[in-house]
Amino acid sequence: MTAAPNPAPLLIVGDPAAAACEGDFCAVPGQEQALVNRRLDADLV
Amino acid sequence: MSRPRREYPGLPAVVLRVSEAIKVDIWSDVQCPWCYIGKRKFEDGAAQFGGDVEVEYHSFELSPDTPVDFDGNTVDYLSQRKGMPVAQVEEMLERVTGIAKSVGLDYDFEHVHQTNTVIAHELLHFAKSKGRQLDMKERLLKAYFVEGHHVGRIADLADLAAEIGLDRAEAVAALEAHSYLADVKADVAQAQAYGIQGVPFFVIDGKYGVSGAQEAAAFANVLEQARTGRDAAQSDSAEMDSADTDAESEQVAP
Repeated sequence: MTAAPNPAPLLIVGDPAAAACEGDFCAVPGQEQALVNRRLDADLV
Repeated sequence: MSRPRREYPGLPAVVLRVSEAIKVDIWSDVQCPWCYIGKRKFEDGAAQFGGDVEVEYHSFELSPDTPVDFDGNTVDYLSQRKGMPVAQVEEMLERVTGIAKSVGLDYDFEHVHQTNTVIAHELLHFAKSKGRQLDMKERLLKAYFVEGHHVGRIADLADLAAEIGLDRAEAVAALEAHSYLADVKADVAQAQAYGIQGVPFFVIDGKYGVSGAQEAAAFANVLEQARTGRDAAQSDSAEMDSADTDAESEQVAP
């Protein structure tokens, strides 16, 4: 793949925790805590 | 770009401000759930902003190693190929489905056809060449997440292209010849050059980077920030022009 010329650096703005997909994984904000809560409710933890 | 100048005898040059749309380049993948949700939130934010916005989509392949004909849906894919527990995947997708619903999208992960999206990206470039990229992007996302269509095979993609009014035979020919594959790869290379690791990713006016499915207000804010930045730059430039004109006037004054 041909490398693209380096563009000017971007000023990153907005919520850094906003939901996004990287590779196959699409992060769900709050999901990990929700899973833990469910396990606690089911006395699995 | 040069700004139009109008000169009046005895008066400094006047710089006419030209209203230009704010360019938004969006890197996105067809099978990215946050990309469709982020698209809706961005559209809402752009409406709140109220100014002219020009959108161009760019290709990003989240999972280029996925086979075109993977036999299964998203749960199967993530559990079988990535080793994630089925219960965890289902809970994750349930939450994503709920968030999608909140922006008016009826995701149906049970009927999603997990596939390779490179040809879908080629179709988006084909549609761009016809001035129909935005319609094609919306059609592909809806087909994949809501309607359970396959978006990895040329025949299915050509059907979707025809649905938005593109010439089906021309689309088939372009996809079979991979006429736009180089454009897809160029987009991916550009993403790497920017350091983009996840999608959706928005580049506003070539200056601001916004990652993820932000709330609509966040998009509206950064669009306003871009407009304010432009206005300040134009104002500074106009002052410099005015100073130059004053200096010229002093030089020719008797």
